Amino acid sequence: MEIRACLILLFYLVFYGFLAALFTFTMWVMLQTLSSDIPKYRDRISSPGLMISPKPDTALEFYFNKSDAQSYAEYVSTLRKFLESYDDSKQSQNINCTPGRIFDQNDVAVKKACRFNLSELGQCSGKEDKTFGYSKGTPCVLVKMNRIIGLKPEGEPRIHCTSKTAWGALKALEEGMVEINYFPPEGLIDLMYFPYYGKSLHAHYLQPLVAVQLAINSNSTKEEIAIECKILGSPNLKNEDDRDKFLGRIAFKVQMTE
Amino acid sequence: MVKEASEMGSTNSSSKAWHVVYKIIKIWNVMIIEAVPDVHHNTKTLFLLQKKSDVYSVEDLWDKRSRKTDIGDEEEKYKDLKGNKKKKAEDLKKEVELDDHKLSASELEEKYGTSVNKGLSSARAAEILARDGPNSLTPPKATPEIVKFLKQMVGGFSILLWIGAVFSWISFGIQLAQGAESPFDNLYLGVVLALVVILTGIFAYYQEAKSTNIMASFSKMIPQQALVIRDAEKKELPADQLVVGDIVEIKGGDRIPADIRLIFTQGCKVDNSSLTGESEPQSRSCDFTHENPLETRNIAFYSTTCVEGTATGIVINTGDRTVIGRIASLTSGVGNEKTPIAIEIEHFVYLVAGVAISIGVLFFIISVSMRYKILDSIIFLIGIIVANVPEGLLATVTVSLSLTAKRMAKKNCLVKNLEAVETLGSTSIICSDKTGTLTQNRMTVAHLWFDNQIYSADTSEDQTTQPFDQSSPSWTALSKIVTLCNRAEFRPGQENLPIMKRVVVGDASETALLKFAEVILGDVMSIRARNRKVAEIPFNSTNKFQLSIHETDDPNDKRFLLVMKGAPERILERCSTIMINGKEEPLDSEKAEAFQTAYMELGGLGERVLGFCHLYLPEDEFPDTYPFDTDSMNFPTSNLCFVGLLSMIDPPRSTVPDAVSKCRSAGIKVIMVTGDHPITAKAIAKSVGIISATSETVEDIAKRLNIPVEQVNRREATAAVVNGMELKDMSLQQLDEILCNHSEIVFARTSPQQKLIIVEGCQRQGAVVAVTGDGVNDSPALKKADIGIAMGIAGSDAAKNAADMVLLDDNFASIVTGVEEGRLIFDNLKKTIAYTLTKNIAELCPFLIYIIASIPMPIGTITILFIDLGTDIIPSVALAYEKAESDIMNRRPRNKRKDRLVNEQLAVYSYLQIGIMQSVGAFITYFTVYAEQGFLPSTLLGVRVDWENNAINDFEDSYGQQWTKYQRMYLQWTGYTAFFVSITIQQVADLIIRKTRRNSIFQQGLFRNKVIWVGIFSQIGIALILTYGLGHVTALNFTPLRFQYWFVAVPFAILIWVYDEVRKLFIRRYPGSWWDKNMYY
Repeated sequence: MEIRACLILLFYLVFYGFLAALFTFTMWVMLQTLSSDIPKYRDRISSPGLMISPKPDTALEFYFNKSDAQSYAEYVSTLRKFLESYDDSKQSQNINCTPGRIFDQNDVAVKKACRFNLSELGQCSGKEDKTFGYSKGTPCVLVKMNRIIGLKPEGEPRIHCTSKTAWGALKALEEGMVEINYFPPEGLIDLMYFPYYGKSLHAHYLQPLVAVQLAINSNSTKEEIAIECKILGSPNLKNEDDRDKFLGRIAFKVQMTE
Repeated sequence: MVKEASEMGSTNSSSKAWHVVYKIIKIWNVMIIEAVPDVHHNTKTLFLLQKKSDVYSVEDLWDKRSRKTDIGDEEEKYKDLKGNKKKKAEDLKKEVELDDHKLSASELEEKYGTSVNKGLSSARAAEILARDGPNSLTPPKATPEIVKFLKQMVGGFSILLWIGAVFSWISFGIQLAQGAESPFDNLYLGVVLALVVILTGIFAYYQEAKSTNIMASFSKMIPQQALVIRDAEKKELPADQLVVGDIVEIKGGDRIPADIRLIFTQGCKVDNSSLTGESEPQSRSCDFTHENPLETRNIAFYSTTCVEGTATGIVINTGDRTVIGRIASLTSGVGNEKTPIAIEIEHFVYLVAGVAISIGVLFFIISVSMRYKILDSIIFLIGIIVANVPEGLLATVTVSLSLTAKRMAKKNCLVKNLEAVETLGSTSIICSDKTGTLTQNRMTVAHLWFDNQIYSADTSEDQTTQPFDQSSPSWTALSKIVTLCNRAEFRPGQENLPIMKRVVVGDASETALLKFAEVILGDVMSIRARNRKVAEIPFNSTNKFQLSIHETDDPNDKRFLLVMKGAPERILERCSTIMINGKEEPLDSEKAEAFQTAYMELGGLGERVLGFCHLYLPEDEFPDTYPFDTDSMNFPTSNLCFVGLLSMIDPPRSTVPDAVSKCRSAGIKVIMVTGDHPITAKAIAKSVGIISATSETVEDIAKRLNIPVEQVNRREATAAVVNGMELKDMSLQQLDEILCNHSEIVFARTSPQQKLIIVEGCQRQGAVVAVTGDGVNDSPALKKADIGIAMGIAGSDAAKNAADMVLLDDNFASIVTGVEEGRLIFDNLKKTIAYTLTKNIAELCPFLIYIIASIPMPIGTITILFIDLGTDIIPSVALAYEKAESDIMNRRPRNKRKDRLVNEQLAVYSYLQIGIMQSVGAFITYFTVYAEQGFLPSTLLGVRVDWENNAINDFEDSYGQQWTKYQRMYLQWTGYTAFFVSITIQQVADLIIRKTRRNSIFQQGLFRNKVIWVGIFSQIGIALILTYGLGHVTALNFTPLRFQYWFVAVPFAILIWVYDEVRKLFIRRYPGSWWDKNMYY
């Protein structure tokens, strides 16, 4: 009886050992066929999504009290952390590129990253206002475009945001509830930051940012304001996909109290 | 637990039902045999059966039963049996008290308040009708259709799937309340699961509905109209309006409308075959001839037929209180025994459900303890259940069985109950009728004796000539007697039919002789016309001879020829000479001795022997104008010239000996159960091989050793011929002993009801018993048997209804064909199930690894359903067409306790070996798809929470690219599709390896079963359509897949095939080894 059980155990040990070895070997062979620089196929991400920073835990909704530092401390620290890599000291290796032109480096073995000056973010750079405007009721939100290897935007891509109250169609802007400022001006994304060459080749790459500053009217506090930002001005960047709500656009809500 | 308990209950009550049946059986026990060599046979009936004219008589049991104690006992048994106990019990009592046959007509008039001349008044009749109810058999309390339907909805795997559906809806509700992004996925999943259950339920219900109509024929047997005297007028009334006390008139051809005490008869004969299985018409008179109501001649029974004559009688029992009504209600009270395949499938369902539930619960606990949300854990649970349950399998099994049933129908086995297809395959004992099943069901001349020599005649079904030596002048004389001394005639208008197929008016022996003469001499009718008959004494049981006087066809010979046939000893008594080689020689003791020897020899063969003699009447004494008077017998009837003997038998069908030997090598015991004389039965049993040439009965041994029967060691005898009378007195233990100790058994002189005892005996040995039957009274035995086989030609409707299978040609050989098909389908179902179970692991592993390693979901629940109910269905049905691997008729019947349909080896091999290999292959494809899109395997581990987070839309892959949620989802669906395609590709390999369990694929032939290829192409075709045709329908979660991903799993498919070939090779090489024991399923 024991011998039988042992035999069966041994059999399965050998059997599964063999299968595990086979699995490992096949995976190894498969991985050998892959390049470490760029993925074999990029057809599943032909157009980039938009994302914001800070990203609240609760599904893209900002709730804070401008007089209570604790209520926005997390947003501020997230922004600070996010912008760390954009600090001048970190960008020492980055070069100044020609604005307005695609920065093609196909022939170069070592890909250079373009410098993104924090000063471009103006009031939202966190240099003048350490709270990124949260304490003044003008909170900053950074909008960024997802990195996609080889993506070359056409035209003049820029971020544009609209807002409405949670109640519906009434445009908050027209009501004067919120005023939206963009840094760099008009929310322009410079083409010199494209294309991206991937993590391993383009190690110091910094994706361009657009800061959106929401100057919330003091009358409109306690109102939930919905903001939708889209990428405009570029024919090859989609922003109206039915299924993908984040393809070239992003919606978030802000509610500020005093 | 509850279900088990109720099952136990039902077996108890049915065993009590059998007690009641026993009592009925005993009533019909055979007692007296009237040795009539030639029997009147009514050829008008459909039954061309020639059974011995056994006269049934009854022991005192009937009277015993009427004792009060027994009634109480009976009542109690009945109470357990039926729902409407009280009413039934009272009915029984009434029947027991039946003494109407003892009463005189006037006493009866008084008892029933009626008048023989005037009948009942309409008002009184209406009153009684209101009291007793209509004169019809109550159909059994049928389960309402809706209940049957609901049963299908919750049987098998349905419960599991319902649980899955309900969980889906619950999680949909919760997600909806929480306002999650896409809660509708779960709603759809729940709906799909519910649809799967409902559709398979409808399918199963439809299949079941087709095969349940047992009472239909009983109600069909009710006569439509009856001629009744009421209000002193004769009226035609619907038979169901009859009440006790009605006076009814019956004439030849009518069905008896109720149990009737006869008060006036004229040449009335009834055919009780629907009641007793005895097709000899029995005469009926007004006289009280027997204590027992079943034996007395003055009672005619409901549903039997009046063959000839007329009669008038008083209705004494109606509807369910009639004798046939009781049998009918017993039959329907007998629950169908669960078929072996039903038990096997139940076992399999429990096994799979057990695996599903335990893995489901285990991983529910694991996922909860891994801090997954309860809601997520529930969704995992649904996935695990769906992956584990082979949704399409039960439908596949049904389809496979019905395909086999169709195939069997082509071979003359009509299967009514689908599951019976397989039951036949596991049969270990066949209790077969003799007449018609083993034999041709027609008397045929088998031997002749003349000139001191025995000649054999051809008894095959399609004889056109007779090969024996016909040159002797004695034969000429004999043939003349055979031709002339015969009242049978062919029905006109059959000249083009082969002689053997023509319909004859006349009894069985005369028919045999007529056909025999027609085959040898040609046109018998014109010979008779040329030899004009001038006088005739028909056969009667006092004379035991038949005589006729003819003119001869020789114009120069003016003598009359007197021809006579009859019981050989009676004929010989009347002879003084014997014809040898055409010459009359004196009948001395030496020649008489030769006659005796021949007579005994032929009789010993179980054949019915007739003697023939003739006499040319001298012309001077009997001139042309001589007035022959058959009453005064003014002609010689002694000192005749003995010419010869002819012996007849109902010969075995030519295909039967072969079929019996096939059964023998297939390990199936064939038991003959017949009403015939033991000698005849034994002779036929020997000639077809039921008793093999070398084996002996106890009596044979006693004879050989010349010792008394009691001294013979019973164990030495392999064969046994058991007389019905012995059987009646046997205890169950004695019967068991006989069934156990003898391999070759013949039950002779059994009443058809004793079959039940025999069937039960066999079942006590743990055998799967097949029983053949044709009469109404066989229905309980047919029902009790594991597989009841009714005769298509000779069988009554009731028998056909009670049976699971109908033999269209009444031929025993067809049963053997059925057995072969049954065994094949069992093997093939094993293959189908093994095929279907395998991919369950490949469907289950993704969930387990998803939970444990937190990788993106490799395959979706809906996708799994597309495999189970889409690509896999046709291939698994195709396995039903697989040919047998070896001669399946050379192995023993399956042991229903040990050889399970789904055994441990099958489950282990499918789940733990091939299934795991499939999973590995599918995972390789999955990882390849993700890696080539930018997610290397290392990145995938542990990403589940972020991956599925709707708020994270910049999910970074291994190359620094960022993905939105929807982009990830689309990739995930591509993963589903790739996983699906891999499983499909590997299932092709699985399908091919499942063609055989032992032989190499090359031995079996890759292309012999074309349907397998249909299966393979359909599988791939469906996968292509789903992937490329429906790849844009979001709800289905399929995406168009890069073509190369179809081939990633191919090496694993080949590996599966090679591995299985190696497995089979070792099994063939080392039978009985560790490998064989563990790897052969």
